[in-house]
Amino acid sequence: MMGDRLKWVRRNVGTLGAYAVAVILFSAITAFVPGFGSAAHIRFLLLTAAFVGVVALGQTFVILGGGFDLSIPWTLNAVSTITTALCLGHDTRLLWVLPLVFGLAALIGLINGVGVAIFRISPIIMTMAMNVIGQGLVVLGFSGLSSTKSPPLIRDMVNRVVVELPIGVWIWLLLAAIATILLSFTGFGRRLYAVGTNDQVSRFAGINIAATRIATYVISGVCAGIAGLMLTGFIGESSLGFGDPFLFASVAAVAVGGASVLGGQGHYLGTVAGALILTFLTGLLPILNLAQGWLEIIYGLAILVTVGIANMERFRLEA
Amino acid sequence: MTPPAQIESHKRRPRSWLSEVPIPMPYIALAILVAMVTTQRPSYLSVAQLNLTTLEAFSLILVTVGQTIVILSGGLDLSVGGVINLTTVLAATQFGRGGAHMVVWILLLLLLGLAIGAVNGAVVRRLRMQPFVVTLATWSILSGVSLLILPTPGGQIPASWLSFGNMTVGGLSIWVMGLAGIAVFWVSFTRRPLGRAIKALGSNSEAAYLAGVRVAPTVVGAYALCGLFAAACGLFLTTQTGGGSPIIGNDFVLPSVAATAIGGTRLTGGFASLAGAIAGAYVLTVINDVVFTFGIPQAWSIVLSGLLLVMAVFLGELRGLLHRWA
Repeated sequence: MMGDRLKWVRRNVGTLGAYAVAVILFSAITAFVPGFGSAAHIRFLLLTAAFVGVVALGQTFVILGGGFDLSIPWTLNAVSTITTALCLGHDTRLLWVLPLVFGLAALIGLINGVGVAIFRISPIIMTMAMNVIGQGLVVLGFSGLSSTKSPPLIRDMVNRVVVELPIGVWIWLLLAAIATILLSFTGFGRRLYAVGTNDQVSRFAGINIAATRIATYVISGVCAGIAGLMLTGFIGESSLGFGDPFLFASVAAVAVGGASVLGGQGHYLGTVAGALILTFLTGLLPILNLAQGWLEIIYGLAILVTVGIANMERFRLEA
Repeated sequence: MTPPAQIESHKRRPRSWLSEVPIPMPYIALAILVAMVTTQRPSYLSVAQLNLTTLEAFSLILVTVGQTIVILSGGLDLSVGGVINLTTVLAATQFGRGGAHMVVWILLLLLLGLAIGAVNGAVVRRLRMQPFVVTLATWSILSGVSLLILPTPGGQIPASWLSFGNMTVGGLSIWVMGLAGIAVFWVSFTRRPLGRAIKALGSNSEAAYLAGVRVAPTVVGAYALCGLFAAACGLFLTTQTGGGSPIIGNDFVLPSVAATAIGGTRLTGGFASLAGAIAGAYVLTVINDVVFTFGIPQAWSIVLSGLLLVMAVFLGELRGLLHRWA
């Protein structure tokens, strides 16, 4: 029994480590910065972490399967822009606009997945191209907008506090629960880990690799869409380009959360910790009066440091 | 090193002639696009226009050359966007009044590009990290630094640098001659040990290693050259825009990869066509002119470049499949 427990710890050391860092970081910052740990600020931190957390959910699935999704920024933006442009500030239209935009988000994911899994186009190329195509089409269709204002229902849904936390955070928790169940307790999750670990063996085991991979891209597209709506609700409007920081952020959250960028290893729960860590760090920026540029520097360093360390670990084990 | 008795290579069969035939795609596409514009603007086929188009395309050409070198080695460099950003903001804030001070900074910036690239290569090689991840991270860091140096586009570029950038000699823009310079560079690069090592590495890294190629310096060299060209691109941009911008480089990342792919370079490495890549850069630039001439909304040109990239890669895959079964 003790051996089993030890094995579990060793397998999940990345994820556990991420939570340890998150807790330590939060405690350290709160000790030095008054107000950082206040209820209102925690709610704010959790909500902003939720945006990263939701896009990183999709990115986690894609990376676990051995790919990358660079189309998150403009899938997010497309859903957000189209929703505000079509709803014109009214809630009633959401009834048909929501299925439409989520269908679009899923379609983008599907196209990505098919390009990668069936046409063997490198995920970086395919999703980067889709991002740019999405950007062009959104700008074509919707700049010079009729309205960028968020429908009130969405704003409400994201910001209203229910049982101490904004609904947006509850949405994130719900998605995290679903993701955890998918990854740890379903056949799909097991297949995903297999596909991300070793293509050949998965094929011999009869797993439909293409379907599994395509599913991850669809999940990522839908998550980007959800995040887009949440962001729109939070800010109160949509704007062109506000999805861009989420590319670096999503990869950073996944990396910091202990997942291997090569695929096959890691868990969404780790990404959650990664999103929290990044949000704590970036939450320091306004407090320390640091400019926005530091945001990107933090994301980049987070990726380099965590993946670098993970790789050094890997080589010591292999030697 | 003792030569290996047998190399377990999956590329055992000598390459069929199919892979050596230069792919006409970029040239045909370019011809079609130029023809399209010429129908509406007969003056398009003139020396004056050649200068203009080359000026438009030259920044992309510069960064594409660097990207082609890295892709040839089997990698990818997303951080070119960050290098360009950083170069333009530093130029706009440090060039001052021009003169010797400016020349020193020009050299410094080129060295900086080289150094950043070298760091990329070292991290990719030493830490065994995927090029995509490393260069994504450095892109982010460099962009952040650029934003700190110059939060909004602006700054000042001395008039001397601007007029240098827009000089013509015998009716031809100096950048058309710059193209010739690039061609000369490439010819010598592909013949020299570094160039050959890069190509070997991209072709089959195990075989290259066994054949005696020193992998680390080769990888570092490839990324360093890419950084150098990205810095050159940033410098060129300042002659055209007259200022610096912390975000201008971001729009060059995808097009640099697209131009390389459209030009027939295999994105998995081992084979590159400089002429094709340059043609690819022209294609992406002329698309802008087509879009403008026909009154199509501007945003279509990025949509088209994304589509072209996917198509080019897909066709490349097809070729690969064909010549495995041929």
